[in-house]
This record gives sequence, structure tokens and C-alpha cells, in this order.
Amino acid sequence: MCSCRTRVPVIACLSIPGFELKAALRRSPALALHPAALAPEPGVEPLLGPVTAAAEAAGVRPGMRLGEALATCPRLVLVDPDPAAAERAWEEIVRSLEDAGFAVEPAALGVAYFETRGVERLYGGLEPALRRALAAAGGAWDARIGAAARRFAALAAASVAKPGQALVVRDEEMGRFLAPLPLSLLPLERQRYEELEALGVRKLGQLAGLPGGAVAERLGPDGRRAWSLARGGAAARVRGRRPPAEVAESLELPEAVGNELTLRRALGALVETVLAHPERRDRFVRKVALVARLVGGGSWRRSLTLREPSADADRIRIALAPKLAELPEPVLELRVELVELTEPAGRQLELLAAGAEDRSRLREGLRQVRASTGSGSVCTVVEVAPWSRIPETRALFVPRDD
Amino acid sequence: MVAHSRDARAVRSAGRLNEPRPARVEANFDGTPWQVNHQPVAVLREEWRVLDRWWTEEPVVRRYFEVVLESGENTVVFHDGAGGGWFTQRGA
Repeated sequence: MCSCRTRVPVIACLSIPGFELKAALRRSPALALHPAALAPEPGVEPLLGPVTAAAEAAGVRPGMRLGEALATCPRLVLVDPDPAAAERAWEEIVRSLEDAGFAVEPAALGVAYFETRGVERLYGGLEPALRRALAAAGGAWDARIGAAARRFAALAAASVAKPGQALVVRDEEMGRFLAPLPLSLLPLERQRYEELEALGVRKLGQLAGLPGGAVAERLGPDGRRAWSLARGGAAARVRGRRPPAEVAESLELPEAVGNELTLRRALGALVETVLAHPERRDRFVRKVALVARLVGGGSWRRSLTLREPSADADRIRIALAPKLAELPEPVLELRVELVELTEPAGRQLELLAAGAEDRSRLREGLRQVRASTGSGSVCTVVEVAPWSRIPETRALFVPRDD
Repeated sequence: MVAHSRDARAVRSAGRLNEPRPARVEANFDGTPWQVNHQPVAVLREEWRVLDRWWTEEPVVRRYFEVVLESGENTVVFHDGAGGGWFTQRGA
């Protein structure tokens, strides 16, 4: 096939429906052929996540209430979410796209945007570039791509494309393409959908045909935005992300720990260790993630963007610690990832730092011990449960390599 | 060299401080030790019990003794009521 370079920037949307379920099913691939659904997170409304094709065939739909789903399909298997695995798998896909030359803007797990103009000459046109992107995503995920001059139209095209297909919507076809698509593609609250359906508006074309002022008056700013999207959306460019930093530290606990105070101490030790990483030096932390491997086999992840970039261990620890209360199960391994760092910046140093000479001598001594005995030979004692009546659970040795 | 964060080498294993160590203890009929690691006990200073984690499958049932040996060494031993056996332990 011969393709010409496109004159207007084409925005492509790579979509992997049910990505979190697919990532969780990598642990037990046989379940992909059975009626299965991603279990709701504990403590939230019991609504199902994505479902397998077999579950869909049995009448189960994503977003269905758990009780209703189990009544509809008693054989339904609930798969525990594995957010850390999903995050890792998604990062691999995004990196693979970046390696193929695309500047990627991830929108959510399983959805990313990129422009093709910069690489069309490399791959010989728009379609070959999109095929290259599909190949980069890998065949196991059933990825599909929609491409159009507008971001929302690209997303809409990706939502109707078949697995492995790259569907290109030309500018002049956009209105006709969007018109028969359902309103559920729009980022609206459920109440708004119901309101629109009550008015007899069920398709994007019907919404796009209404006067913008009337929609804004009736549905407010959200409605006005939905109306704009139904007409293709604004012509916003894609901003490729800055690749995340790769500074992380994990701590395997000798046994499953559910006590929040113990976990807070482990978190404090981890934050100090990860900040001491040479890769972090002179850079401040903008975004940080706390990841846990749970005793039940699943994982848990929370990320946090700091109000101001910081390299202060106490500040980062205080910001992360409340997240520990959200842990659903005892933890086998805790991990802190510095997801985004600022550029290296100069720092005002003290002319005569108190005790600096002693510290540098101590650091040099420890460096020599490590050099002669190997990594992991120098440890810090971290009190994790000083109140415990069992002496060996009060403190841990944590290796330090800084 | 900096360990890659996705590398398994970046995972550090924490160890426990003051892990119990097996000890050779001879006990009287009432369970109090009279010899620890082939050294006679001079004074039995204190005795206490720890009963914990009884709600788990690995309950902790220990009878601790702080003793002074004839060599002058002060040591803490305990008898493991759940798994059997004698142990010495620091930090008790």
C-alpha cells in the first residue's frame, strides 16, 4: 500500500479495552476463556470492572452490580485487581511505542495518544506507522488504534476498531463517523446520560445537532464540553510525556505485616533509602508511588504528586503515610518509586556543615567495608514494632548501599 | 553501579534483629534451667512468660528465664512451649 504523508497532524489513539483485567489475568491465563470479571476494589461501590468475552456472552456487563452479576452468571469468577502489574505492563507498552519513535501521551491505563507526523517518513506513511505502533504494543493485548485530526474522534475510532485494526477517520468524514456512535463515549456522569436519554438524545450526532448555547444552559459546563466533543472536540496537540524516573527501592518483609505503625516505620526506612540513591542526587521528587505486594497474591499501588517538588524524607513520608490506611490486606513487600524527578538543580551548601567531617569519614569507612565484603554487608537497624513482646519482631536489619 | 529499579537486585531483604538461637539447656523438674550450654546456672534472676499470636496458626508460647551463669555471664533463655526446645535470645 502506498501512503502519502499527511498534511495536518494526525492524532492516533491506541486503546486496549479491559486492560486492567487483561493484566490481572496474566497470572492465570486460563481464566481468559471463562466468565470472569475484575473484582471491585474493597471499600467502594461493588460494581464490576472489565469482563471477559465469555462473561459478556453470559449477560454480564462492565459496571454491573456484583450481586446482579453473580445472579446472572453464577459461574462468574472474580479476579482480584493487580494494579502494580497493570502499571508495569502499561509502562512496557508505552516504552515500546517510544522506542518505535512515537512521542506518547498516556491518558489512562490502556489508552494513549500520539502523533504520527514525525515518524511517517520513517515508516513510509500513516498506515505503516500505525501498523508499527500496533506491533510495538504486542499481539497479546488485542490493541487497536483510531486515528483522526481530533483527539476525541481518534478515541471514538479506537473504540469501534477491531483488535489489531488501525481505523483512520479522514477530516471530511468525521461528522458522519461520529454521528451514529453512542453517548457513552463521552466523559459524562451517569446522571447526565440519563438526563440526555430522557430528552431523547442517544447518539453523538443528535447531541452535536443541538444548539451549543441551549446545551450549556440545560447541562452546564460538562454538557457544553460533551457537545463540543460530539462535534469532534478541540484541535489540541498531543504532548509526549517525559519518561518516568527509574529510582525505586523495595523491602521484603520477613512475614506479612498488617500493622499500620509497623508499615509506617518500614515506609520511613524505604523513603530514606530511595532518596539516597545516586540517580536522585540533586533532583527533587515531583511524583512518588507506593506499591505493595499483598499476602493474598495481588498488589496495591497509590501514586501521589507532591504540591511542591521535594527531597525532604520527612515530607515525602508524611505525604505517603496516610495511603497505608487504604491497604486492603497484610503486606509481604513494600516498594517506593520515584516516578517523576525535577531536573538537576544547584543547591546552596553550608560553608562549614556541623559534623560534616565525621560523617564523611564514617561514609568513607562504610564504603570501604562494602568494597571488601560486598553489597548488603552494611545494614541499618530499623525499629518496626518496639512495643512487641516478641523480641525478634521489634527491629529489622535493612541493607544500605548509599 | 546503580541497580536498575526493575531489576530483582533492587529488592533488598530485611533481616530480623535478635533472632532466637538454639541452646543446650538442662532443666529441673519444675522447668527452671540449671545448666546453659554446659555452664551451670549460678543465679536465676527473673522469670516471665510470653503468650502472643494465639489467634494465628503459629502461636508464641514462651517461658523466659534471665540467669547468671557461674562464669559471670548474664543471659536470657526461653523454653518454646509451642514448638519445643530451648533458645537463647538477646534484647529480651
